[in-house]
Amino acid sequence: MPELPELNPVIHGKLRLAVLSLLLGIEQAEFTWLREKTGSTDGNLGAQLLKLEEAGYVAVEKKFVMRKPQSVYRITESGRQALADYVQALKQLLGSAITA
Amino acid sequence: MSDQMSSQDLKERIALIEDMIAEARRSTESWGWVFVLWGVAYYVAILGGGIIRNPMVWPLTMISACVLTGVLVAMRKGHSHRNTTIGRAIGSVWIAAGISMFIVFLSLGTSGRIDQHIMVAVLGAMLGSANAASAMILKWKLQFVCAVVWWACAVFACFGKTTPITIVFLTAIFLCQILFGLYAMMMDVRRRRHRGVAHA
Repeated sequence: MPELPELNPVIHGKLRLAVLSLLLGIEQAEFTWLREKTGSTDGNLGAQLLKLEEAGYVAVEKKFVMRKPQSVYRITESGRQALADYVQALKQLLGSAITA
Repeated sequence: MSDQMSSQDLKERIALIEDMIAEARRSTESWGWVFVLWGVAYYVAILGGGIIRNPMVWPLTMISACVLTGVLVAMRKGHSHRNTTIGRAIGSVWIAAGISMFIVFLSLGTSGRIDQHIMVAVLGAMLGSANAASAMILKWKLQFVCAVVWWACAVFACFGKTTPITIVFLTAIFLCQILFGLYAMMMDVRRRRHRGVAHA
């Protein structure tokens, strides 16, 4: 029997998964846009984004627009790959759950 | 971790990924106000041109609409920073169509070779192309219907008489600019109300 794949714990959190999926279909997004789309709080989103950033899955650019701080996030190549691997692992697990 | 995951949990994760990717793509669709703005601009130009009978009414109205669109787009971009490949593709289609129309109508107007037949035919063909390209990118059938209406309007302008052409043109503007724009705005508001929530 083939060994079941492990799910990447960094991506597995619902909010982190939502953020990565949002960034996959978009080139870059502002913090406030991600907050609006995920319906999360500033603190929670900031903490989850930091984990993704530390894992190298997202890159952040901090700048000032009209004297207001703005953080713009984009998914990195390793983030793309990690999400693709995660989806593949999910499909494998689902396949084994159906056949079991 | 895998052992603790139920089939339902796994399916929820897949659904979340699909929802979020779709949500990011839908963000490119909130452009209904541009259709309404340009629909009103066409009406102002047509009515203004008919009442004042000054050849400068059309170019002045179109330039004003261009400036207003640019200012409003800049304000919206400043308000929310997001950029999608689909959004840029659609933006490029409309900017290219806008530049083409500006150059052609400016040249026709300056040379004095423009009449209602040519104007409606060219405008209908250009708007038909831009709407069709945008509809194919977004896979939006309703916008493709608008493209067909504009193309029909362009064909009619080549064969019809002046008064029926005006009526067909005004109807096309109402259906494909104002009504379609209002519908797109309404859909956008509805989508914002029903947006998904993801917690850690």
